[in-house]
Amino acid sequence: MLIEQRALVVSTGLCVALLCAGVLYLSLGSMALPVSAVLPALFGRGEMISVFTVQELRLPRLVAACLTGAAFALAGVLMQTLARNRLATPGIIGIDNGATAFAVASVVGMGVSLTPPAMALAGAATAAALTFGLVAGGGTQGYRFIVAGIGVGAVFGAVTQLMLARVAIDTANAAYPWTVGSLNARPGDAVGLLAVGLGAGVIAACVVARPLSLMRFKDATAYGLGVNVKARRFQVLMLSVVLTALAVAVAGPVGMVGLIGPEIARSLSSSRQVPLLASTLAGALVMVLADLAGRTLLAPIEIPVGIVTAVIGGPWLLWILMRPQRSHA
Amino acid sequence: MPLRVARQRTQMTLLLTALVAVSLVSLLIGAGETGPLRALAVLAGSQDSDASFVVWQLRAPRTLIGIVVGMALGVAGALLQAVSRNPLAEPGLLGVSAGAAFAVALTLVMGASAATLRISVAQLGALVGCLCVLSVTRVRGVGSDPVRLVLAGAAFSGLLSSLTSLMLLYDQRAADEIRFWVIGSLSGRRLDDLAAMLPSMLVAAVAVVLMARPLAALALGERAASGLGHHPGLIRWCVVACVALLVGGATAMAGPIAFVGLVVPFAARAMAGPDIRRTLWFCLPIGPLMVLAADMIARVAVAPSELPIGVLTALCGAPVLVSVVRARRLPSL
Repeated sequence: MLIEQRALVVSTGLCVALLCAGVLYLSLGSMALPVSAVLPALFGRGEMISVFTVQELRLPRLVAACLTGAAFALAGVLMQTLARNRLATPGIIGIDNGATAFAVASVVGMGVSLTPPAMALAGAATAAALTFGLVAGGGTQGYRFIVAGIGVGAVFGAVTQLMLARVAIDTANAAYPWTVGSLNARPGDAVGLLAVGLGAGVIAACVVARPLSLMRFKDATAYGLGVNVKARRFQVLMLSVVLTALAVAVAGPVGMVGLIGPEIARSLSSSRQVPLLASTLAGALVMVLADLAGRTLLAPIEIPVGIVTAVIGGPWLLWILMRPQRSHA
Repeated sequence: MPLRVARQRTQMTLLLTALVAVSLVSLLIGAGETGPLRALAVLAGSQDSDASFVVWQLRAPRTLIGIVVGMALGVAGALLQAVSRNPLAEPGLLGVSAGAAFAVALTLVMGASAATLRISVAQLGALVGCLCVLSVTRVRGVGSDPVRLVLAGAAFSGLLSSLTSLMLLYDQRAADEIRFWVIGSLSGRRLDDLAAMLPSMLVAAVAVVLMARPLAALALGERAASGLGHHPGLIRWCVVACVALLVGGATAMAGPIAFVGLVVPFAARAMAGPDIRRTLWFCLPIGPLMVLAADMIARVAVAPSELPIGVLTALCGAPVLVSVVRARRLPSL
């Protein structure tokens, strides 16, 4: 795989920014620590209270934020490339909602015994299958595919509401983080699963990077250049669905990150390659910053990270739509 | 032509009959202990005080409000679709309802709770939502593609609903007051609410009657409409104001209910053909039919608790959206 100098520079820059944001994340909060105290506390030195705050409270949440942001953004850039449309992210075409609906079904106990992560996976797969199945004639291109996804997402959203309306208020409250997207209640096993999945996903994405950059052309051209388009498309779709589902299982539907991360990466990188790595890093960065803002802006009230990203992502999406049309993705 | 008119007359009769039947059933059934037979006895003039309270104080207002809300949403959908020339333009999908809900939440957070205030505020919010959406359509490239408009609407309403939940997060009292309203329901509304809404609905109705001819002319294109002596810009403004009145009023009554404005004109066009005037007439019975049917299912499906009505309309509306989008050629307006 050919690594461009620019991609290297961009990735390094994003890494540095992510590190800075991480340190900031560890130091700010209801108990602000000076940055000089954060680093020692990270390695177990310094006052007990700051060590506890950093290691036990903020670090796990930071890790979860990085992982979910990275997974959402990677899934987003894969799906965008696949659909040749920069608006076709899993969050917009209803995969998030599907995963959420199934996970909520598991939380409120609709007679299923699978854990929420497994249910999220099943839901994401169902929603993806539905969306792709419904537009089977039209392929994955154009806006119809996306609107079909919005329809599928609306059905799953309604089903989620339906389930929440049926159960007792306590159970509904337990399922609430799933419906807006929050890093507050992150199940430990799901984070572990996500870490493994994201690692595998990044490797897999690197493997498909070259065919993927050819799949931006028309199908016939990609065939001619030696890409088995059908098989690759299926693999990439699966990868995107699995990443989304694992991330939803940790943080709920924070799908806007899947739009914002790749957008940032694309504006930084050259257009010769699909900016997989840069998107992943940018997604993690956005998620960390959004959660930091959610924790600190209205303190002591915590804004769920899903709301923060929606407030940023909505206008962003409108702006993309209203901009004069350029070639997509 | 006469054959077609005759067929439409039959269809209209059938629809009206169905509406009367559904309204009756809506009075007869419910989640509580008052069964259809007792309710029927009340309608026949029995002196059963419990049952008559349930029928006349709970179910009758609910049915009436359902009828008005259904008419308002259906007509608003048809108007918005005609003026934006977009078969997918639906007040709920485009964020008009979200604008109304946002405005109501904002006033609640600021400490108000009077019923009449809520209606005018919701209408103002709907107006702002309408203007935002239509200004997006004016931007080159978006208006020409119906499907992109839906995406813009989804982004807009997503933004507004997250801002709404942000405010509710900040203010527990408002959150309690609005929690059930925000997902849309016809339960617990009183006739006073309906009376407060009625004047603006009547204004909108008169305006729609006056605008029907110019709108039909506008369907021929802006130039043709100008040539026939109408003012396209003026018509558009009037339509936006009407849609805001209708959707704002309906949203203030029943909360944001999506997809009614999509499904109802869709069905009405299938029966009435391309003429907007006939379509509007057909929307009048079809809208209440859909809302009342959804409301009845919402009442009995999970008795004794209730479903939000918006869930049911989304469940039956989203497939219609998908099927419209799937059609090889989008129906043009």
